[in-house]
Amino acid sequence: MPRYAMVIDLQRCVGCGSCSISCRNENNVSEGFYWSHKITETSGTFPNVRYHYIPTLCNHCTNAPCVRGCPTRAMHKLENGITMHDPKKCIGCRYCMINCPYGVIYFNWKDPHTNWKDKRELIKGVTSSPAEEVKKLDARGVPYYNPHRDATLPGIRPKGVVEKCTLCDHRIKEDKLPRCVEACPADARIFGDLNDPKSQVNNLLGKFRPFRLKEAQGTEPAVFYIRDFSSAGYPRTKGGI
Amino acid sequence: MKSRLWFGLLCIGIVLGLYATFKVYTVGFGLYAKTDVLVWTLPLSTYIFFSLTSAGLAFVSSIPVVFGIKRYEAIEKRALYLEIAVLIGSFVCLLLHLGSPLAVIYIFLSPNPSSPLWWLAVLYILYFVLLLSAFWGIHKGKISKPLGVIIFLIAIGTSTTLGWLLGMTDARPALNASFFSVYFPLTGFTSGLGALLLVSMVYAHFSGREVTEDRSALYNELARIMGIFAGMVLVIFLWRTISGGISSTAVEYRAFKHMIGSIPYNIELWLGLAVPTLLMLVPSIRATVWGKITASALVLVGMFFGRLEFVLSGVVRPLGQMLEGRPEIVSYVPTIYEVFVALFGLSAMLMLYTLGERYLRLDAVPE
Repeated sequence: MPRYAMVIDLQRCVGCGSCSISCRNENNVSEGFYWSHKITETSGTFPNVRYHYIPTLCNHCTNAPCVRGCPTRAMHKLENGITMHDPKKCIGCRYCMINCPYGVIYFNWKDPHTNWKDKRELIKGVTSSPAEEVKKLDARGVPYYNPHRDATLPGIRPKGVVEKCTLCDHRIKEDKLPRCVEACPADARIFGDLNDPKSQVNNLLGKFRPFRLKEAQGTEPAVFYIRDFSSAGYPRTKGGI
Repeated sequence: MKSRLWFGLLCIGIVLGLYATFKVYTVGFGLYAKTDVLVWTLPLSTYIFFSLTSAGLAFVSSIPVVFGIKRYEAIEKRALYLEIAVLIGSFVCLLLHLGSPLAVIYIFLSPNPSSPLWWLAVLYILYFVLLLSAFWGIHKGKISKPLGVIIFLIAIGTSTTLGWLLGMTDARPALNASFFSVYFPLTGFTSGLGALLLVSMVYAHFSGREVTEDRSALYNELARIMGIFAGMVLVIFLWRTISGGISSTAVEYRAFKHMIGSIPYNIELWLGLAVPTLLMLVPSIRATVWGKITASALVLVGMFFGRLEFVLSGVVRPLGQMLEGRPEIVSYVPTIYEVFVALFGLSAMLMLYTLGERYLRLDAVPE
């Protein structure tokens, strides 16, 4: 049985956000939710400042605290290492959100995609309304609705339950890469099997010094980061007093 | 006239709660002061307040059967009934916290014993059924010792499991102090004493019935114990502040450091713990009805705000990617719907209790 993991090469990542956009389309993610997101940081003091960009997603932790705490096993581990969620079993207690150190789980506070239910025309007599657009395309919820998502999870999750990245488990079942990996124009996301010693993922983990987010929590994330982007140089110096 | 006014107020509270329930389940939980950061707020803290008060009442009602102190039998029936009413109040708030309450059936169909929440659900169901049985027995004039002992043990189980539930959250150390499995039963006992003393005193005052000397001495004893426990909680509370809020350098404690200056924190510290402790230390105040009413009401108000402060200490600081585009500390003001939920729990509890006081002879002493 494979154990899937992702390596994110921070030297290759340009911070374009295609991972996030493609994820939204693939998984019909609602407004304000980010199954695929980022952490940005600035360091230094003006004028010597630097911007850091770390792409984030569910870490599919081996010791997932969200899974341990879920009273109904709605949040559960698949044999291939993916942390999956079953909205049918979710009681909406949000304990997984409390337990997750990475802030990657979202709760449907209201019906999803409410903006697309609006029956008012954007410009009266000129444009159609969002609801008409959805109807015209015979879509569900959003005009760009992806029906393939329904294979393993409700295409659009209902109000009152949580949701998060599933590492595109529905695509993996069809031997396709997760959508964010496929869409990355810089090939900064590398997906593979940790149980296969010859996989690209293991190749990179052996070649560089990887790190994972909040390793001290002991959650054993399956998302690894390698390298860092910096084009900066500096003249050799010992500093001074 | 007073009785009508009282029932009228409770009905208003219940109607507002039903309105909030209707809106929450039709419009959604967006009516709460939610963000993806503030995932637990007033409805949950009110649930914790009620559930721990209920556990505290279980400790009080168990005193005669578990510890054999016979004079406490005089208050056992009232304590037991109040426990049921308070527990129902907690269930009301819990139901309005859960996003999909109907899926609760999966607690049985798909159990996860590694989850403290699962244990809590199972214990509460058992607890509620046993409480009803015990009350029915007492109402018929019989005390069941085995049932009393089991209820006592389950009350220890629920209050300490709640400590485990929050103690498991490694990601939020402000919720994760290992002493919460001690702190919760202790504070629960204090608020349980406060609740029992308050309703007993108010009933004695407004019913116009004469309080026997034995019963009066018992109330004074309860007031003294409540004062002692409020003092003990105050010490632990201050150490929590010193260790987590002042000494700790961990960034995760910044949420708690923020809460130290907040209104709920200060209400809990001064009104809920310091003042009642001082009031109950003075024998002349402790001996008066109004002294006891004031101190017990303050304890309850303090504990209510304390639970809110505690829950917010865990959530006001965004974690991981939730910090993106947000300030380091997110502010919280409850919405009117959240206030209605808290009011609903309180009104339902008080309505049940008032009806019980009127029709179930809660003063009766079992054989």
